[in-house]
Amino acid sequence: MEKLSATSAAGILLDLSGVVILLLAFACLGSKLFNRYVAYYGAQSVVLSFAAGVAAWTFHSPALWILAGLTLAIKGIGIPVVTRRLLLRRLALGRDSAIWLGLSTTLIAGGALTAFAYLVIRPQLLPHGVVAAAVVPLSTAVILLGALEMVVRRHTVAQLIGWLIAENGVFLGAITLVATFPFIVEAGIFLDIAAGVLIMLVFVSGITRQLAEASTAELRGLRG
Amino acid sequence: MTALAILIVIGPLAGPIAAVLRARARAAGWASVAGALVSLASAITLLATLVHHAPLTGWAGFLYVDVLSGFFLITVTGVTVLAAFGSVAYLSAEEDAGTLTTFQVRLYFIFFGLFASLMLASLQTGNLGLLFVLVEASTLASAALVGLEGRARSLEAAWKYVIISSLGVTIALVGTLFLFYAGSALHLTSNERLTWPYLFAHAAVLAPQPLRLAFLLAVVGYGTKVGLAPMHTWLPDAHAEAPSPASAMLSAALLNTGMYAIIRFLAIAQARLGTGFPRAVLLTFGFASVVIGVLFMVRRGNFKRLFAYSSVEHMGIIAVALGFGGVLGLYGALLHTLNHAIAKAVLFLDSGDVSLRYRTREAAQVRGLLAAVPVTGGALLLGSLAVLGSPPFGLFLSELTIVRAGFAGSSPVLPLLLLALLAVAFIAFARTTTGMVTGEAATPPDPYRGRAARWAGAIPLAAGLVTLLVLGLWIPAGLNTAILRSMAMI
Repeated sequence: MEKLSATSAAGILLDLSGVVILLLAFACLGSKLFNRYVAYYGAQSVVLSFAAGVAAWTFHSPALWILAGLTLAIKGIGIPVVTRRLLLRRLALGRDSAIWLGLSTTLIAGGALTAFAYLVIRPQLLPHGVVAAAVVPLSTAVILLGALEMVVRRHTVAQLIGWLIAENGVFLGAITLVATFPFIVEAGIFLDIAAGVLIMLVFVSGITRQLAEASTAELRGLRG
Repeated sequence: MTALAILIVIGPLAGPIAAVLRARARAAGWASVAGALVSLASAITLLATLVHHAPLTGWAGFLYVDVLSGFFLITVTGVTVLAAFGSVAYLSAEEDAGTLTTFQVRLYFIFFGLFASLMLASLQTGNLGLLFVLVEASTLASAALVGLEGRARSLEAAWKYVIISSLGVTIALVGTLFLFYAGSALHLTSNERLTWPYLFAHAAVLAPQPLRLAFLLAVVGYGTKVGLAPMHTWLPDAHAEAPSPASAMLSAALLNTGMYAIIRFLAIAQARLGTGFPRAVLLTFGFASVVIGVLFMVRRGNFKRLFAYSSVEHMGIIAVALGFGGVLGLYGALLHTLNHAIAKAVLFLDSGDVSLRYRTREAAQVRGLLAAVPVTGGALLLGSLAVLGSPPFGLFLSELTIVRAGFAGSSPVLPLLLLALLAVAFIAFARTTTGMVTGEAATPPDPYRGRAARWAGAIPLAAGLVTLLVLGLWIPAGLNTAILRSMAMI
């Protein structure tokens, strides 16, 4: 398989995209506002689609170009817009108060997970001097940060964003490690994510409504 | 043969089509039954052909059916038939009682059919990437079934299920990526490098380190769907909150589909890494699941949760059997998969009948079932005995085979531990179900309107128990050959 060298222009751009994606995952972990979660996720997806574009340009792969376009349209624009319209505004979600671990502790744990990803992945697997050698630990770290977000946040919207960030990490690894993944499979993964987000949106709004009803019922019970 | 493979997948879509055409519970239910029967008949014909022929391949490896897939296809289509009968009884009773709206009933049949169809499709693909896509899609379809009743508890269970399983399957996707990467040195096209038969044939030249990681990630990822501890936490909630026929599908079909994916990765890993590492991984997760399942079965309470923890235990037993390995271990694992699927389908369908009559899922509130409703009580008693591995039912035979496989290995400690855990499980499980079955009680109101619904409820219980009895006394020659040929694939 053709390999991207770490010193070529495309290699540097991919490395850089990987770092920005990691930073945006950290930004999400360090935030408390639902609006910001969605904004950081959207920005991360835009950078991801840029990375896919770089890979497509290097490998001259039309399938990867389509994928870059899909990433931008669905993850970069579609999911953030739908989440804002259908969840954040309609349910008037502002500040996330269901946080199980303090923000600074969470960030330290995130740093530890990133170091862990480097220690575990780098020496074992990958040939040196190839771009994948730098990006695969980054993408592993993004997956772990997404999982961390799902663990330390109890609110359903935060967990949904955590899953989507982990998914972005997988995708980052996929385009650099195995740029030639069959197109049908990649398209299927996209379809799954889109369907998954839709069904999760239904559950999230259902759960939030039920909780709101439950708490107003409590208020009525205490009257008088 | 390709036509049969397609027929298997589109059969279960009869229910969704009827529901979209605005059928009510009875019509949509009988359409599901008819579709499931078509699928089962096609699966049996396909397996009978495959036993004597080369595997069916096509569409650049996206279609690949060998005897192992055929065996799992029979299991899943069989369970779908039982659950479709159960759905007719359960959903028409719920619709008549007004517990579920007609819209909810239609949604149920749409997602029930999609769920079955996606699982059957995932058993027929050789492309491990497409396998991920289909397994994730079946998660989404079944999550809709879990959250169908729309109460706070069922929505919470559905949320927990969809979020944990999605993350789990994402981990399996990372494993698939590493497997793909392990094949970098092979001169195959990108499609072939993700296709199981090619990978299995070239296993000797895969890079060992990425492969090791790939196998571990696949066991953790698909293990989340199987319900292996400690990734099982979604399972009891989802099984308890879903409508009972959907619980039967989750426990008896979905968990097995996850196990099928693990077996595919196991085959490649064993061919390259030897048996040591993969077996150690499976034994660890397997025993953890048996221990967790048994411990939580001791607690008395919701009987659907009890059955769910029993599923965790049995999936652990299958993982342990794969970990013991050898001819006996693999034979036991496959036979146990089939037996457990039928027994658990019977128990969950029976639990649906109980919860319709008593309007509760708490074991303590159900008494004297055998006297009050002999069919339901008898099926619960016999089903419990079957699932606990008493003779003369099939699970006795498969558990005995698995324990013998353990004693054939180097140390007798592990099989002895397994026997001890099985004994505890017997006491814990039987304590709850015998309490429900025995005693004096007034007859609860009959929830079914019409004889057809009553029969639809009783047929799968009788059919399942008879099959279990037959499998305990005599394994048909065709099934025996199919299992032996499947083992050659691993």
